[in-house]
Amino acid sequence: MNWIAELKDITKTFNGISALDNVNLQIRKGEILALLGPNGSGKTTLLKILAFLEKPLKGQVYFDGRKVTDKDVKQMRMESTMVFQKTVLFDTTVYGNVAYGLKVRKLPKKMIAQEVRRALKLVKLEDFEKRQAKKLSGGEQQRVALARALVLNTKLLLLDEPTADLDPKNASIVEEIIATVNRELKTTIVMATHNMFQAKNLPHRIALITNGKISEVGTPAEIFGRLSKTLASFAALENTFTGDAKITLNGTTLVDIGNDVEIETTAQSQGKVSVFVSPEDIILSKTSFASSARNVFKGKIVEILDLGSVVRLKVDVGRPFTVQITKRSFNEMGLNLNAEVFLAFKASSVQII
Amino acid sequence: MKTWIKMIIASSTITMIIIAGTIVYLQYFARRRLMISTTTSLDDTGLLAEIKKAFEARYPITLNFIPVGTGIAIEQAKNGDVDLTLVHSPSMEKTFLEQGYGVCRKIIAYNFFTIVGPQTDPAKIVGLNATDALKSIAAYGRNQTDPRVKIWISRGDNSGTHSKEKSLWTAAGYNYTILSTESWYAGGGGKMGETLLKAEEFAAYTLSDIGTYLKYSKDGRITLEAFITEEKVLLNVYSVIAVNQTCHPDVNFNDAITFIKFLISNETQQLIENYGKNDYGQSLFYAAIEPLKQSSPIQIVQWIKEYAFFNGSECPEEYRYGQLDLYD
Amino acid sequence: MEILDGIVKAFQLIISGDPRIFEITLRSLFISSAATLFAVLWGIPIALFLGTRNFRGKLFVKGFFNTMIGIPTVGLGLILFLIFSKAGPLGLLRLLYTPAAIIIGEAILIMPIIISFATTAIESVDPEIINLAKTLGASDDQASFAVLKEAINGILTAGIASYNRAIAELGIALMVGGNITGWTEVLTTTISNETAKGNLELSIALAIILLALVFGITLITLAVGTLRRRRK
Repeated sequence: MNWIAELKDITKTFNGISALDNVNLQIRKGEILALLGPNGSGKTTLLKILAFLEKPLKGQVYFDGRKVTDKDVKQMRMESTMVFQKTVLFDTTVYGNVAYGLKVRKLPKKMIAQEVRRALKLVKLEDFEKRQAKKLSGGEQQRVALARALVLNTKLLLLDEPTADLDPKNASIVEEIIATVNRELKTTIVMATHNMFQAKNLPHRIALITNGKISEVGTPAEIFGRLSKTLASFAALENTFTGDAKITLNGTTLVDIGNDVEIETTAQSQGKVSVFVSPEDIILSKTSFASSARNVFKGKIVEILDLGSVVRLKVDVGRPFTVQITKRSFNEMGLNLNAEVFLAFKASSVQII
Repeated sequence: MKTWIKMIIASSTITMIIIAGTIVYLQYFARRRLMISTTTSLDDTGLLAEIKKAFEARYPITLNFIPVGTGIAIEQAKNGDVDLTLVHSPSMEKTFLEQGYGVCRKIIAYNFFTIVGPQTDPAKIVGLNATDALKSIAAYGRNQTDPRVKIWISRGDNSGTHSKEKSLWTAAGYNYTILSTESWYAGGGGKMGETLLKAEEFAAYTLSDIGTYLKYSKDGRITLEAFITEEKVLLNVYSVIAVNQTCHPDVNFNDAITFIKFLISNETQQLIENYGKNDYGQSLFYAAIEPLKQSSPIQIVQWIKEYAFFNGSECPEEYRYGQLDLYD
Repeated sequence: MEILDGIVKAFQLIISGDPRIFEITLRSLFISSAATLFAVLWGIPIALFLGTRNFRGKLFVKGFFNTMIGIPTVGLGLILFLIFSKAGPLGLLRLLYTPAAIIIGEAILIMPIIISFATTAIESVDPEIINLAKTLGASDDQASFAVLKEAINGILTAGIASYNRAIAELGIALMVGGNITGWTEVLTTTISNETAKGNLELSIALAIILLALVFGITLITLAVGTLRRRRK
């Protein structure tokens, strides 16, 4: 039996609105499974059902081969834990937070101290034990929540958008922790994400979910390799566009993504495609300049998101692009809303998915 | 079961345990106690504190006096909220006995009311008898033009003193109901001590028992002078009455009888008579048992019998509840 | 000046360790503590229910408790007097003019304070705390206690506010207690009675103690709160 958990014909509604519709999913022992889908697709609900925080309206949940009934729920919560998208902390020290689950499990005090130290080391917060958890930065808080879950060594670890609100530094720390924990402790992890890039690199398998239904399950190579209609509908995802691809005479592909915006990419493709450009690959400038970048567009800043050390901007060049620059650059360039800017990125940065 | 429900169950259990514990304690371990409603003049003079000390030194019973004024005292006795009542209004006491709520009445002390007033005596009542004094005060009061000026303070609280005051005005020929609404007449004085203080404030006249007056005067709280006293109409008789056990089975009747016997005993009668002699130069209260027994001094005994006896006795036979040794 | 003279005499009375003052103060503290204990015992579960659940008429219930905070003490005192007196429904318990009656009355008086404050404190706790506790392995009861723990600051404030209210109230203690010497005299009733009798030294002495208690308790709470915050 190498399924750790299985969802069979799961349906869940909230106040008459369907959140999950006939979901069937198997979680392999020791894998990292990503739930990829836009906001509101039911990822959180699915995770909560796997965490035994929500009861399905219809369907059965199996854990470790056994069907889970109402009386098993309390025990199951000890085997499966979830880290929420919005960090929730107890109003106490980092130690108090991380130790909570261990105290509930009635571990002896010395052992708790040991385990907490170990968990904090894993998330690179070794000296933070006595600090007040609510006074830490966003990234540190999320890592505390992660440590709090990891210290329990549950059979199943559920992560809801673990890096969504983090700056790149913290995001990569968290991704590294996820990979390490899975690799060394063999923890089974199910994580919800809407970050394509993350979904491509971190998990063993991906399950695509929209409108409460799972449309496809497969390895990243399989999912991204196919011209998946579902993927294409993730229009809400950052820097993902659908368009018509045409191979040009010099061997590159031009993709028309609408509104007179054409992206040149080195990848070869024809017909209806989805393309993706990572925000970090886009260069922002106040003036246009000659460069080797094949893609240059003029646009206006329509949104500014301050993430501390970096700033994320949405620039409308006909279609909206998300760009990421350092805070320093942002200040030095003196940018604000409605400022006119230029975007530039190489054809090789454009991925066809 | 939800957490809050469990908590409520726990709270109920704890509350019930505490209540049970308290009840057990009160029933078996606490000292016996007597609740006695009284007139306020006995309390204001400090006599009750002395009696309490003497009684508790001899008996394992705690005395709790509730000084509320005769009217309320009798109400509480009727309701069975207390075991005994110590009051000084024969008319109210008579009704109390006749209605069957009270038994075993004993007259234990007497003194006199006095009409007191400012030293300047604007109404010129010095040397008059009570009736004429009141007429003079009323006339003086009616002559006042400023409605804020008060010439007379009344307790207005249905107490023994208040009853006496009402009967005096009526005997002097006034319609009390009308008189009490006139602008120079201030009601609502409250307890005896309070009333004296108010009379002091307003430089007005009032009716007081001699005991409270002397105490407040000696303590320097008032500068009023006692103009008229020791008259038949100003006689003030204190009696103790037990609450009828038949009406209220859970009153502490046995201890109540013990207390009555204590009050009429020689030692206590001496205590009452001696109280205040040193501090005030005279007794605040006079013992009543001996005089009634010996029929002497004849004048006083006569007045008491006329004023405070019912059908020729301080307690007619039907209200003696079989306590024959209280009476001779 | 009579007032200054009175205040000086009052301090002398306190310092001399007058037994009556001692007895009255102790009784006040005991009665108020017992009342607060009962109010907390019953008020916290109700606040937990109100703070974590939504139901039709919830606004009405909350509004009811909010209004009850301002109930005139003599009004409540009268109602209880009628209930406890021999003529009333609970007369056979013989509670009238006992400290127990005051405790019950004051507990009823301050319970709305606890319920109102505690409910607000519990409502401002992130509702996801319950899911957090559960996913870390807590039972339903343990999760509820986690919520209470998060709301502890508000709850403590509620407790202190009610204690002060109980120790400083007059109407109920007077009406159902009767201010009987040696039995149901508390600070407030004695101050009231002795002032009317003109016994000002005692009144002033007790008033000083009462004010000192109320200020003292409030100051201690503030100090504890600040220390806890500073530790963070």
